[in-house]
Amino acid sequence: MHDDWERERFERLMLPHLDAAYNLARWLAKNDGLAEDAVQEAYLRAWRFFGSLRGDNARPWLLRIVRNACYELRQREHLPGPAEDFDEQRHDAEMLAAGAVITLPVNPEAAVIARAESEMVRQCLGALPRDFHEVLVLREIEGCSYQEIADIVGTPIGTVMSRLSRARRLLQGLIAERVRPRETGT
Amino acid sequence: MKCAELNRLLSPYIDGELDLQSALAVEAHLQECPRCSAAIAGVQTLRTAISRACEPAKAPLRLREAVQAQFAAAPQQATSRSLGFCLAATPGIAALLIVGWLALAQPWNAQSSAGTAQGTRIVYHLAGGNHVKANLRTLKNHLDAEPNLQVVVVAHSDGINFLLQGAQDTEGQPYIGALRELRARGVEFRVCTNTLTRQQIDTRAVVPEAVLVPSGIAEISRLQKKEGYTYLRL
Ligand SMILES: [Zn+2]
Repeated sequence: MHDDWERERFERLMLPHLDAAYNLARWLAKNDGLAEDAVQEAYLRAWRFFGSLRGDNARPWLLRIVRNACYELRQREHLPGPAEDFDEQRHDAEMLAAGAVITLPVNPEAAVIARAESEMVRQCLGALPRDFHEVLVLREIEGCSYQEIADIVGTPIGTVMSRLSRARRLLQGLIAERVRPRETGT
Repeated sequence: MKCAELNRLLSPYIDGELDLQSALAVEAHLQECPRCSAAIAGVQTLRTAISRACEPAKAPLRLREAVQAQFAAAPQQATSRSLGFCLAATPGIAALLIVGWLALAQPWNAQSSAGTAQGTRIVYHLAGGNHVKANLRTLKNHLDAEPNLQVVVVAHSDGINFLLQGAQDTEGQPYIGALRELRARGVEFRVCTNTLTRQQIDTRAVVPEAVLVPSGIAEISRLQKKEGYTYLRL
């Protein structure tokens, strides 16, 4: 159906983003093996639907496919969603649902966060509800612009902006909460 | 501007996603509000903590090989548009491209009507860390089309990253070559010291090809108002 030229174009546009795709998948699938499956699945879909890619916005286009593949695979495997992980931390899921008003301190002690261990930062980031988790990963780890995040997640850019603000505040609160009791305990 | 409004704009300000006017208003508020300045510092600390904790992973070789083998063997389908996860031309990106094209077309019109001897003055506003290679190419193309152009690039937020010592593109190529070439053609690079302070970057980390200005946003505004520069966003 397709010739070598098309394959060459696919390789040129898609393969440079393999690391980014895998990195995103590891965060969203929360499991290295599942992440590899999701990336393979995503590239397969990308290759099948390559004809619908317009212009040179290959990276957000691919990352959107990767994102959806991750969530589908997690669902298929009946793995709990991030929000449930979060519940175990004794947080009120209702308060944290997208759109809810969150009242956390505006400045939760930068010094406390600066001392947080990397493993704890990763755990807290992973414990955020999905809507907040994914925008933060896309912005801070994948380095996406707001427009790219909006395209990948499929929300208006204003929603990206407010989710990102809230995600940062939530994460600050989570980290500060975990660092402080331990410090007063010892 | 009130603290509540700043709180709303804090993330887009830090991410370099605000338009010039809003960014100026944010900076003015920060000058006189220690509480909001502390909030900015808090988010900056969080960003540093995340990037320290979350080093980007590289795809394992077996995955790379599996992916390549897979798409080489898989047939493409014609029924692509029916599936929800596959986005066709993204309206947002298309709009950006058009805006970029219009912006680029503008200086030519300006020159043909004004035709000043010293050439058109352009200040490019660079706030994002992505697409740097494409942006440098845009600059080069612009200069090729209009050799008399006077260009100042003002970088802040993540836009400063490629002006730091040893900066490389996503393929590991250093930026310094392209940078020097543009410098030789008269392009000036100005780096926001506010950004350096907030991201705790030593001023010595900035390449000697660039100069420091106190505030990138204020510099852009000054060039427009006082020196007749035309504003373009990269
Ligand atoms: Zn304030």
